[in-house]
Amino acid sequence: MEIIEKIKTNKSDNNLTEIQKICLHQLQSSPLPNPKSEQWRLSNKSKLSTLLDYSVNEKDSKFDIPYPKNSQSTIRLIIGENCQIKLIEKNYSIQQLSEDELQKYIKEQISFFKQNENWSDLLNLSLSCKNNILGLKINGSKIPPIEIFSHASSNSLNAKTLVIFLEKNCDLELLQVNLGKENSSLSQSTFFCLKENSSLNHGVVSYGKNRSNLLNSLNVIQQKNSAYNLGSLHFKFNYARFEISIKQSAGNAKTNIKGMQITKKDEQISTYTKIEFNGPNGFLDQINKSLADDKSHAIFEGSIIVPKIAQKTDASQLSRNLLLSNLAQIDTKPQLEIIADDVKCKHGATISQLNEEELFYMRTRGITLTEASKLQLSSYFQEIISFIPISKDKWDLLDKLLNEN
Amino acid sequence: MVNENLVKDVVKEPYKYGFVTDIETEKIEKGLNEDIIKLISQKKEEPKFLLDFRLKAFKKWQKMKEPDWAALGYKKIDYQDIIYYSAPKQKEKISSLDEVDPKLLETFDKLGIPLTEQKKLTNVAVDAVFDSVSIATTFREELAEHGVIFCSISEAVKNHADLIEKYLGTVVPASDNYFAALNSAVFSDGSFVYIPKGVTCPMDLSSYFRINSGDSGQFERTLIIAEESSSVSYLEGCTAPMFDTNTLHAAVVELIALDDASIKYSTVQNWYAGDEEGIGGIFNFVTKRGKCLGKRSKISWSQVETGSAITWKYPSCLLLGEESVGEFYSVALTNNLQQADTGTKMIHIGPKTKSTIVSKGISAGNSKNSYRGLVKVGTKATGSRNYSQCDSMLIGDQASANTFPYIKSQQPNSEIEHEASTCRISEDQLFYLQSRGIEFEEAVSMMVSGFCRDVFNQLPMEFAAEADKLLALKLEGSVG
Repeated sequence: MEIIEKIKTNKSDNNLTEIQKICLHQLQSSPLPNPKSEQWRLSNKSKLSTLLDYSVNEKDSKFDIPYPKNSQSTIRLIIGENCQIKLIEKNYSIQQLSEDELQKYIKEQISFFKQNENWSDLLNLSLSCKNNILGLKINGSKIPPIEIFSHASSNSLNAKTLVIFLEKNCDLELLQVNLGKENSSLSQSTFFCLKENSSLNHGVVSYGKNRSNLLNSLNVIQQKNSAYNLGSLHFKFNYARFEISIKQSAGNAKTNIKGMQITKKDEQISTYTKIEFNGPNGFLDQINKSLADDKSHAIFEGSIIVPKIAQKTDASQLSRNLLLSNLAQIDTKPQLEIIADDVKCKHGATISQLNEEELFYMRTRGITLTEASKLQLSSYFQEIISFIPISKDKWDLLDKLLNEN
Repeated sequence: MVNENLVKDVVKEPYKYGFVTDIETEKIEKGLNEDIIKLISQKKEEPKFLLDFRLKAFKKWQKMKEPDWAALGYKKIDYQDIIYYSAPKQKEKISSLDEVDPKLLETFDKLGIPLTEQKKLTNVAVDAVFDSVSIATTFREELAEHGVIFCSISEAVKNHADLIEKYLGTVVPASDNYFAALNSAVFSDGSFVYIPKGVTCPMDLSSYFRINSGDSGQFERTLIIAEESSSVSYLEGCTAPMFDTNTLHAAVVELIALDDASIKYSTVQNWYAGDEEGIGGIFNFVTKRGKCLGKRSKISWSQVETGSAITWKYPSCLLLGEESVGEFYSVALTNNLQQADTGTKMIHIGPKTKSTIVSKGISAGNSKNSYRGLVKVGTKATGSRNYSQCDSMLIGDQASANTFPYIKSQQPNSEIEHEASTCRISEDQLFYLQSRGIEFEEAVSMMVSGFCRDVFNQLPMEFAAEADKLLALKLEGSVG
């Protein structure tokens, strides 16, 4: 109940938007996710309550972008700061969604919500005030890359929401960066609607600082012949959840997901994915990598749902995990639920440590053990990082961040 | 192109074990309470420790809730509407097989289980369980020469109470789960096997379970203990008549392997599965678990699950001893409205433990077939290794196949691999076989049998042949 009271004391009823009211109402029936449900079973309860302990904050502190823009053409948006955008160029247009469009779409999404699966979204939408919701409609071709930042302020719980409609035949490269501050909680919900023949290369990089927490939820609807590529990286969070829900609404769409999570100290980072095929000829290629060190805990749960209508689906899911310490833990659960008979579905999972033979080989060539381990790790990361649509100089930055401590 | 209709009629072969033996039986009244449990215990002339064990389990069961996490749907079971004890009437205690009711012998004969002397040439010792009691155990003298104890659990309670008291409930405690608690409270009979130190059991041991009565449940309990450096292969088969009501079967199997011992446990489960509309059939809720207590011990489960309306079964291994090995080979075939939620648990506790899981699921008709498995590597299990492979084959567009593997590791110096795939009968392969003059159904049958080969190779010879035949029969007319 506390969280609901917190939101309410922050604002009087009159100041709440309609969506906030709907979501608050739904949260009231079960203010916290069911700890026995599959989605929350392994989640660290005390860490979740720390996340919710911070006071709700709608205004952000000034924030410094971690790296300069490398090309003038890149469009950079910070949710909560400069939400006004209207760009109409020769080839393309980027416009804000109108109040009505935004409300209609979010309401429709809420109607599909399930209490435990979408608890993070419900929380996010109850907390997000108008300023912290960014809705965009993107149309055209040769669109410059877009970068969108969400960040939290110290000692507070911030919520940011992003809604993007990618219109027909539209190609886009989008990098989303979620930054955590010291002792902060960020709730980020993202909703994408990919219309026919559109294609999105989406990168999500989330990194925190000491004791930062994150609830990151991503909901994608793919219409016919759309392509969605996601590269994601989550690290340095005391507690983070990345929930991905992708629906191929009429099949015939392509989804590629490459995700990575790194946990150290006593951190817990989890990825939950649910991919539904609601039409024939769907394609999915997913790989999720985890690396757990020290006393940390990494979790991956992925489900692939292929109903009868989704004939000729071709889906594969791979979970690869590195366990580097005696006190660390890894849980992984790839799942297949299949009714259609003419499908090719497979999944795999491995848990191991660094390859000893490769380490030995490098050491015989005069490379120290530390160096060799680093090399092996960086090749482990490389597959994922190279999939994130970011430029070379930012890679270096990521490399530096990954190699810290 | 595959002929859809042809493929749709594959399981028309009637269930040939569906007859009822008309024999006078002794039943107690329906329902479950402390008095019933005391009555069962009294009928079986059990020592006090066992009655206490039952009553304690019953108390626990009353506080438990029926599990609902499995991907199964069935109407609620009324536990008070079941007869918990039913036995064929026998006038006096029998001293030899010749005194067994000829009708019973005939029944087992019909099922292809040799109990009479002249048929004992197959060199497999059989313990035949009819409803709640064991009818006969063959080859006992020969086995006794080697020090092997093979008898019904009721006899073991009388003659080897020390072993029962020491081991019963140590692998599957009464409070383990809802159905195990129910079984612990009311178990009627089952097999007991004890292989002494250094003995390799001279023949395969086998239990044959037959449910005859329509309103009584079967709650058998099996306990197998393999002492140091011993080894045994145990086979289990089951059938039931066709009734249009659902019969509950909740068994518990416990295996214990000490240093260097090895136990191989094979099951061909062919309980009545209900008719095409899903009426009737056995609810099969079974808890099977083995404990590799000793160093280098090995427990291997192989199963062919073709029967039962509902199957809820996870034969598991607790790998405690250093370098102990757990194996699970399974073929689960579901057709019509059958539902199966089956898999295994491999819990690696000791160092250098190894486990292998090979699961093949085939779902046809409107059935639902799920693999659910857990591989857990604990902090002390350094150098452990697991390999799992689960393949599903879908026949027809109404069947569903699910895979839910849970993998948990707390030990960096271990390797876990899991892979799963789902496919259907390949049209190319089918076309190839047909173009070589092989009939459609035979081609499908060959492909299914090839799909299951990894598992059949693990079964004892007689069983493998039976399983292959069983699968072909079950699929007849259902391939689509």
